[in-house]
Amino acid sequence: MSRLALRIVSIAAIFSLLLVACQPAAAPSGGGQAAPSGDQTAEACTITFGAAVSLTGKTAKEGGYIKDGYELYKDEINKAGGFKVGDKMCQIEIKYYDDASDPDTSAQLTEKLVTEDKVDLLLGPYGTNPTFSASAIAEKYEIPMIEGGGAGLKIFDRGYKYIFGTLPAAPNYLRSVIDAVKAKDPSVKTVAILVENDGFSQEVATGAEAYAKEQGLEVVYKEQYPSNTQDVSSLITAVKAKNPDMILGAGHAADAILIMKGLKDQKVNAKAYAFSVGPTSPDFRKTLEKDADFVLGIGPWTEAMKFQGSDIFGTPKKFADMMRAKYGEENYKTVPYQAASAAAALLAYQKAIEAAGSTDPKAVRDELAKLDLQSFYGTIKFTPEGIIVKPMGVVQLNPDGKVYTVYPADAANGEFLYPAKPWDQR
Amino acid sequence: MSGILIGQSAVNVLLLTGVLTIAALGFSIVWGVMNIINLVHGATIMLGAYVTYIAFAFAGIDPFLTIPLSMALMFGLGYLIQRGVINYVMRAPMLTTFLLTFGLEIVIINLAQFFFKSDLRAITTGYSGASLTLFGDATQNVSVEVPYIKLGALIIALFLTALTHLLMNNTRLGRAIRATGMDKDAAQLTGAKIGTVYAITFALSAALAGAAGSLIAMTQSFQPGFGGTYTLYAFVIVVLGGLGSVPAVAIGAFVFSLITVLTGLWQPGLTQAAAFLLLVVVLVVKPSGIAGKAFYQ
Repeated sequence: MSRLALRIVSIAAIFSLLLVACQPAAAPSGGGQAAPSGDQTAEACTITFGAAVSLTGKTAKEGGYIKDGYELYKDEINKAGGFKVGDKMCQIEIKYYDDASDPDTSAQLTEKLVTEDKVDLLLGPYGTNPTFSASAIAEKYEIPMIEGGGAGLKIFDRGYKYIFGTLPAAPNYLRSVIDAVKAKDPSVKTVAILVENDGFSQEVATGAEAYAKEQGLEVVYKEQYPSNTQDVSSLITAVKAKNPDMILGAGHAADAILIMKGLKDQKVNAKAYAFSVGPTSPDFRKTLEKDADFVLGIGPWTEAMKFQGSDIFGTPKKFADMMRAKYGEENYKTVPYQAASAAAALLAYQKAIEAAGSTDPKAVRDELAKLDLQSFYGTIKFTPEGIIVKPMGVVQLNPDGKVYTVYPADAANGEFLYPAKPWDQR
Repeated sequence: MSGILIGQSAVNVLLLTGVLTIAALGFSIVWGVMNIINLVHGATIMLGAYVTYIAFAFAGIDPFLTIPLSMALMFGLGYLIQRGVINYVMRAPMLTTFLLTFGLEIVIINLAQFFFKSDLRAITTGYSGASLTLFGDATQNVSVEVPYIKLGALIIALFLTALTHLLMNNTRLGRAIRATGMDKDAAQLTGAKIGTVYAITFALSAALAGAAGSLIAMTQSFQPGFGGTYTLYAFVIVVLGGLGSVPAVAIGAFVFSLITVLTGLWQPGLTQAAAFLLLVVVLVVKPSGIAGKAFYQ
């Protein structure tokens, strides 16, 4: 019995070795290299991208935004003819797997995409941890991965060459919130930070804490709570005892909602409430209704921003309208930045592939590193580590039910309401 | 200042105890009577939450009034699950039922994901977040607050817990359930139809989980996967309090809440670690739990 198992395992091992050995030879054929062809008319070809995205599990929601962003870009570019590779026009395809928000699964599925499905290039998952592990696979096979869903510095500080991210680095996330509040009210003094104990949120919080101190603020409370927490009442009690001017949350959407409910339950009044993730997702307003008023969120991208590019979307507004046209008005009242950062990943690929004239992973990677592009997403340009160079905007959920960009001033399309109204006067 | 802190923390502990008691009660009964670690429990809580959500969002029914509906539907579902699936492996080792309920949980969660999507849902009524200021001055951020919804949830949880206690101790059905839990062969000899008893026990547990789901739905946001955490909480609470009686569950829930709230005040990152550390200590020092007995009595 065990000998039989051993034999099966060794046969499987040999097969997988063979597969890996064949890999470099197989890759270019799938990629549609710009082979010289007598026929001048565009030849049909397909570029396949692979992505393991969280469609179930804790970050299913955000993973869904990422997928929707990829899909919109795919459909629109295919309608417009596809990617220009050399003298051919190639349609694009995306192969998805559900990583269930789990980093290990994400890595396994990414490996499967490379070795079994033989995709040409990789797109990223959602979340710092899945991206951290999936990008290691991309590096191992030397296939580029552009991701629009992971912002943790730890993804980029390993000296990897094949990972590129379209979200600003986590430590910068809440900086613009502090800037925005300071600009409105120079007398603001104290800040409390509630942190989910995952790597990404900790980087956000550490960055925010350092910046707050630099700006002369006093951090009166900074504590972590476990991921998947269902009760934050005692954190709220502790925060209330510190009576902070500003309450910052570094976590995910479900936590932000739980914290806002807790703040109202215990009537904790601060002048400003802000969360790294949450307020920009449509669920935040839907679940909290009026209690979401005045809350600040951040985004590398909002539809109010005034970017201009020559891509298929052109402007943020156009991208948002197309999202609504494709997925329904009610689902994308506010278009979350994750959808845009995901679409921007494919846009970066398009430009790099066109510049390289092939889908050869190394050539595409080198073009990505050189990329400097004006687009609906703003400037797309990567640091040597692979992180996009990009400031964050601040948005506010207005009592009129809409979301306005309130900072920086040149992108603002609404008034920054400050301080937030106390709970018992709403 | 610290008086406020202590007062609010005491309120937090009491409010949390109520919801967690009702969330763990059904889990404890199934474990005690049927010797099954029921991993479907969290999924049942989740379904209860969605029943309340749907009734509220589409029919405008007040969430508190949806609790009987949620309990009735989950009672039916629990009955079907036991009769249709679990009954076939009742005499199998614990690992079999463990794996079976694990699989069932995944099926239910994925079905829920298919129908409800993974959107975060919450029930926001006109009185959501309104609270009673016990003392202090709310405008200065110095006060002890009791949110009405959580107070209502506590009262309903206490009511249902007391009702379950009466049912288990003062009715023929309750005696049959307890007798079956103690010795199924002897119970059968004295006339208890153990198939029916098991099905009703499981259904009763599911109904309680449904009620818990309805209550939880009013106080937090949820999506199809949220119940798993409550299965875990229920497990810890039942081990802490011990198997064997309704009050033991309440004691377990109280200890769990106390630890959660106290750790949450000083080192919130360690709340779950603290709860599980306590679990380990209890298992080593008093394996039957703080108030545990051999059977339901």
